[in-house]
Amino acid sequence: MRCYGLMIPGSETTRFHPSQLKYDPNPILRVKPATRIPIGSFRSKATINAKLTSELGQMSFYELLSIPESGKLPDIKQAYKQLARKYHPDVSPPGQVEEYTQRFIRVQEAYETLSDPRSREIYDRDMARGLHLAFSSRKRYPHQNDEEMEERTVWKNRWQSQLSELKRRSTNMDAGGSMSWAARMRRQREGWSEEL
Amino acid sequence: MAEQQYTVASDSETTGEEKSSSAFPEIAIGIDVGTSQCSVSVWNGSQVELLKNTRNQKLMRSYVTFKDEVPSGGVSNQLSHEYEILSGAAIFNMKRLIGRVDTDPVVHASKRLPFLVQTLDIGVRPFIAALVKNAWRSTTPEEVLAIFLVELRAMAEVQLKRPIRNVVLTIPVSFSRFQLTRIERACAMAGLHVLRLMPEPTAVALLYAQQQQQTIHENMGSGSEKNALIFNMGAGYCDVAVTATAGGVSQIKALAGAAIGGEDILQNMMQHLLPNSENLFLNHGINEIKSLGLLRVATEDAIHRLSSQSSVRVDVDLGNGSKICKVVTREEFEEANQKVFEKCESLITQCLRDSKVDIGDLTDVILVGGCSYIPKIRNVVKGVCKREELYEAINPLEAAVCGAALEGAVASGVSDPFGSLDLLTIQATPLGIGIRADGNSFVPIIPRNTTMPARKELLFTTIHDNQTEALILVYEGEGTQVEENHLLGYFKVVGIPAAPKGVPEINVCMDIDASNALRVFAGVVMQGTDQPMAPFLEVRLPTVDDGHGWCAEALNKTYGSTLDLVTVQKKM
Repeated sequence: MRCYGLMIPGSETTRFHPSQLKYDPNPILRVKPATRIPIGSFRSKATINAKLTSELGQMSFYELLSIPESGKLPDIKQAYKQLARKYHPDVSPPGQVEEYTQRFIRVQEAYETLSDPRSREIYDRDMARGLHLAFSSRKRYPHQNDEEMEERTVWKNRWQSQLSELKRRSTNMDAGGSMSWAARMRRQREGWSEEL
Repeated sequence: MAEQQYTVASDSETTGEEKSSSAFPEIAIGIDVGTSQCSVSVWNGSQVELLKNTRNQKLMRSYVTFKDEVPSGGVSNQLSHEYEILSGAAIFNMKRLIGRVDTDPVVHASKRLPFLVQTLDIGVRPFIAALVKNAWRSTTPEEVLAIFLVELRAMAEVQLKRPIRNVVLTIPVSFSRFQLTRIERACAMAGLHVLRLMPEPTAVALLYAQQQQQTIHENMGSGSEKNALIFNMGAGYCDVAVTATAGGVSQIKALAGAAIGGEDILQNMMQHLLPNSENLFLNHGINEIKSLGLLRVATEDAIHRLSSQSSVRVDVDLGNGSKICKVVTREEFEEANQKVFEKCESLITQCLRDSKVDIGDLTDVILVGGCSYIPKIRNVVKGVCKREELYEAINPLEAAVCGAALEGAVASGVSDPFGSLDLLTIQATPLGIGIRADGNSFVPIIPRNTTMPARKELLFTTIHDNQTEALILVYEGEGTQVEENHLLGYFKVVGIPAAPKGVPEINVCMDIDASNALRVFAGVVMQGTDQPMAPFLEVRLPTVDDGHGWCAEALNKTYGSTLDLVTVQKKM
């Protein structure tokens, strides 16, 4: 059976419950094991990448940027620009573009985390607790207050739209199936404006 | 050397990727194909030089005339009169048409141009045609651009006395990746290889970075970071960038752009002068084209004069019995274009917000592009950035092409003994890229203003029990709903193990590499291990071709929500 309409089963709404969307002040709970293998390692140049990944994965963001842990923002900015000149793929020697790209992405990650006071604070706290986290921990380090707020708003909106869709479905169970896509979209939009 | 020695390959022909693998580095030239004007420049060994055509012009009109069997463009063509462009035989504003479908409002606005733009409003490429010997001869925006690029190439080859193949082209910030493929296609048709496509304000940023670098050398000043806001507005597009510059490195912090420009201002003024002017051209009669051309020239002239005068007199006989005799003040002009100026303001505000740079931390505000002469535009930019003075050391009409030539030299591996080419641009994504999930929502995976190269991933899950397949629709843009964004491609992930809804984890990873190529990897991962269950899919995008307006609707009609995904909200 083909089911049309934007169906979100009731059980799933718990996932979008606003209480879970609140920013968790304890970042430790968000941490996943740092053994994550990037998808890149499934690709042809797996061996080089994997080697590089583990090599760079051992370094802290401070080590990546070659600055002391007491480094100030101008130091971080300067270190980043210098490393960009070294590792940006635009300046890579031919044949090493991929390796340089990986290096640059890591430098970028370190810079983005450390140049934002908030995410740097979280990172420093984790370092102090002996949690070693380098690459790909971005998801767990919201850089900015506003970004985080934005994220929450987006989630809230998603949750609301899912909920309103559920409501609509319960009032007219099968109406969506025979409607055209455009008509459904229009209807969905109308529904939102009513409910918001 | 003969100028017309290249022919344009057919648009339907697929052009194979010929990677230049020659031993000696060829310095790529910079080309700025504007909606209205165009220029070419090159690094001559010590500085950037703008090339001139046979009539000693550095800035050439962007248009192609289909008068005889051989079309000719604004590079070589000697116009007997401005009206010739407006006779129906010339196609211009191709930058506003290329890569757009016939449901696009920008295409609809182009119907008021004095050549044929026909739409069927079904999401396919619009039909465009030029009047040749009293018949509408069809062409495509890609073909027109290619003819024009061939002329530019021939001109550059004559002057530089060498074959030209590699180019750096400037593009508007708001161009989608699909539009970029159309620009690349046009270049390939003209026998050119695109080394880089550079958003216009980032080219200006590179020029600024070079200037700052030189100032430091001269003054032995400190190499501290300087933030600059660049506002570029030409005939077709408005772009904003915030860059952080230090030591020749230009780090693009944020970009914003929209298809709004001098053409919109011109059309608003034509509407102001002749309130029913949009109806003037409905039938595409020869006399109507002539009237429209006359009105266009008179309006354009009035707008130019209003940049220095507070009021101008417009006196034009449209030849169809109607005459316009009006005094237009600058206030009227500003009122008629209020929406345009508001949009400019919102783009600057958005870009500043995204860049997280405080207005007080801006060292310079740079205003470039043809519209930079409009007093209101200057005031808007100064007003939002809260400053009295704008950066003066840059030619507003040549900045973008000069930056492109610098990038061309740097990307070709040229170095300069005086360090003038010790430059690097760290680019950012102008638009977000993501997939359709959570119903009809656009879920960005690589958000706007992410530093490139980049790699990001997100987990998704099924919405039905025992759902074994999932449809991945990749979009680019800023809208929260998918239909507000550009569809780049679509594919299906299969082999999802039968499980209750919400259990399987589908990883979608997006990768933008050093050459700005976008690849999407997708596949099912074992719960909790991040190991793939089966080989991942790797798709290079965009995959859509013309007529992609159909695709999303067709997919929806066929599959409904049976293959949908939702984002995984990690348990905390």
